[in-house]
Order: sequence, then structure tokens, then C-alpha cells
Amino acid sequence: MNVDTAFMVALVLLLFSAMLTLIRLLLGPTIPDRAVALDSMTTTTAGAMVLYGVITKQAVFIDVALVYAILSYIATLYIARYLVKKKVGIA
Amino acid sequence: MNFMEFFWILQVLIGIGLLVSAIVAIRFKNLIMAVIAMAVFSLILSLEFYVLQAPDVAIAEAGVGACLTTAMYLLAIKNTTDEEVIE
Repeated sequence: MNVDTAFMVALVLLLFSAMLTLIRLLLGPTIPDRAVALDSMTTTTAGAMVLYGVITKQAVFIDVALVYAILSYIATLYIARYLVKKKVGIA
Repeated sequence: MNFMEFFWILQVLIGIGLLVSAIVAIRFKNLIMAVIAMAVFSLILSLEFYVLQAPDVAIAEAGVGACLTTAMYLLAIKNTTDEEVIE
């Protein structure tokens, strides 16, 4: 089994798990469930971006994963601040 | 698995994700759910630019789509009256 084939199989599995979190985001009953699903999906996709950069052997692709990880963290922070201010999901 | 077959699988997965997140962003009545679905849509669109060998466009799309529009939509929703449905 080639190393590149192993990387490709890992990348397809990562994208499949991102689709599973997309299903959870689609039918999650409450809003905090969906916010956590979004956060998990962005983390999984950042890992997939790094893996794709390793497969195509181009170092520019790693920068996209870095920028996306930082900015998705800020977006999740904004959603969490909104949910705390509106008292959603707090018993 | 050669590279072209793998590229085809990747394109199909990205297309399904784009379609599902766009339908969710349009059809759902909850405003926060629509904002989260728009964030997912921009994420998958950035992944599509990334796969099509344009990393600079992917960086711009990630910066605008993930951070800026999500924050702007949430600030706008926060300043409206309490008409939105919160589960």
C-alpha cells in the first residue's frame, strides 16, 4: 500500500466525518448542538486541508488551514457570546 | 486509488455539502440556524476553491465568510427586536 494512497483514504474518511457532523447540524434539536457541530466541522476540515497540502506537496496550502482555524475560532466565539447573552441553552 | 478518481470523489462530497447547506440556509426559519448554515456554506465553498488550486482566493473567502459575515449577521440580529424564534 502506497503512502499517498493511505493519505487519500485518510482524507476521504475525514471528509466523510465532516459530512456526519453536517447531518448532526441539520437535525440537531437545539441551537448549542448546532454551534458545537459547526465547531467540530471546521476543525475536521482544517485537518483535511493540511492533509491535502501534504498530498499535493505544496506548502502554500498549509497557510489556508492556519487562517481558517483562527477565523473559525473567532466565529464560534461570536456565536457563543450571542447564545450566552440571549440565555439560549442555559437551564 | 489514483489521483483523478480521488479528485472525483472529493468533488462529489463537496457538491453534496454545498447543496445541503444552501437548502438549510434558505429553508429554516430560525435566524441563528440560518447564520450557522451560511458559515458552513462558506466553509465548503472555501474548500472548493482550495481543491481547485487557488489558495489565495480560499484565504480571502475564509476571512470574509467565516469571520466577517458571521460576526456582522450576529451583531445585526442582536440589534433587532425579539421576533426571531429561539428554540
